[in-house]
Amino acid sequence: MTPWNLLRTLLLSTAIGIALAGCNVVRVIINTPLTPESVAFITEGRTTLTEVVDALGAPDSIADAEPGAIVIYRFLNAKYSRVNFGWLVKPWSPVDPDLAFSRSGLGTDAFELMCDANWIVTHHAFVRHRAEPPFTPYPF
Amino acid sequence: MRLTVILLSVMILTLNACAFSRGTLGDELKTDAINSIKKGTTTRAEVLSQLGAPDRMLQLNGRDLFQYYRYDAKAGSLLLIVLNFSRISVKSDDLFVLINREGTVEEVIASNRTEGLEFRFWPFGN
Repeated sequence: MTPWNLLRTLLLSTAIGIALAGCNVVRVIINTPLTPESVAFITEGRTTLTEVVDALGAPDSIADAEPGAIVIYRFLNAKYSRVNFGWLVKPWSPVDPDLAFSRSGLGTDAFELMCDANWIVTHHAFVRHRAEPPFTPYPF
Repeated sequence: MRLTVILLSVMILTLNACAFSRGTLGDELKTDAINSIKKGTTTRAEVLSQLGAPDRMLQLNGRDLFQYYRYDAKAGSLLLIVLNFSRISVKSDDLFVLINREGTVEEVIASNRTEGLEFRFWPFGN
């Protein structure tokens, strides 16, 4: 490696290190997040709960409803990211400074099905229509 | 190849720590016990003797619904000096047994989601 290449690599590493200073990226996933595409096979008045369970697995809860039951699938796709720019001055500062930007998005959602007494799906819908949260620490 | 060596070297030099954590809630739902429950023949007493008392019980149009569950959580972290990656995955095994007014099993709904649960630290992607 030539001195120029070595210097360039060092500069690049330093720049990346500074850009990523004190960076945390965390993801929390509970169950398998469902999408409109993954439940597109459900046809109200025709699809049975057995077919839904075969495709999506067992639900998280079943509640009593007239005349059948409400079946609920819950899931969570949370993202958290944080950057602490205080790291930039750490080597030269007598104190331990922090200038942290962080942002988290929970993206909690649930998919509900209403079934009649014969376990045929009569209605289905997502509780919320949240877009997937991004990994962006900028809070403003 | 050269790039891989450089990346690996940077990774090793900046590696601070790794962490793996695991948490479970509830007893394991045994496949044999679930398979032994037959619709129309297995009785409420047999379900209770095979699986124990349910974690949750509710009434569904005059019928009893037993719910058994188990949660499994796996967390992995890669702690570099200036950059940390973590991922926590939680999945559940659920079993619902619907018992009719005559006291026999009407419906069994079960799934095993925790089987493929892995320790992962990379937070991006699916």
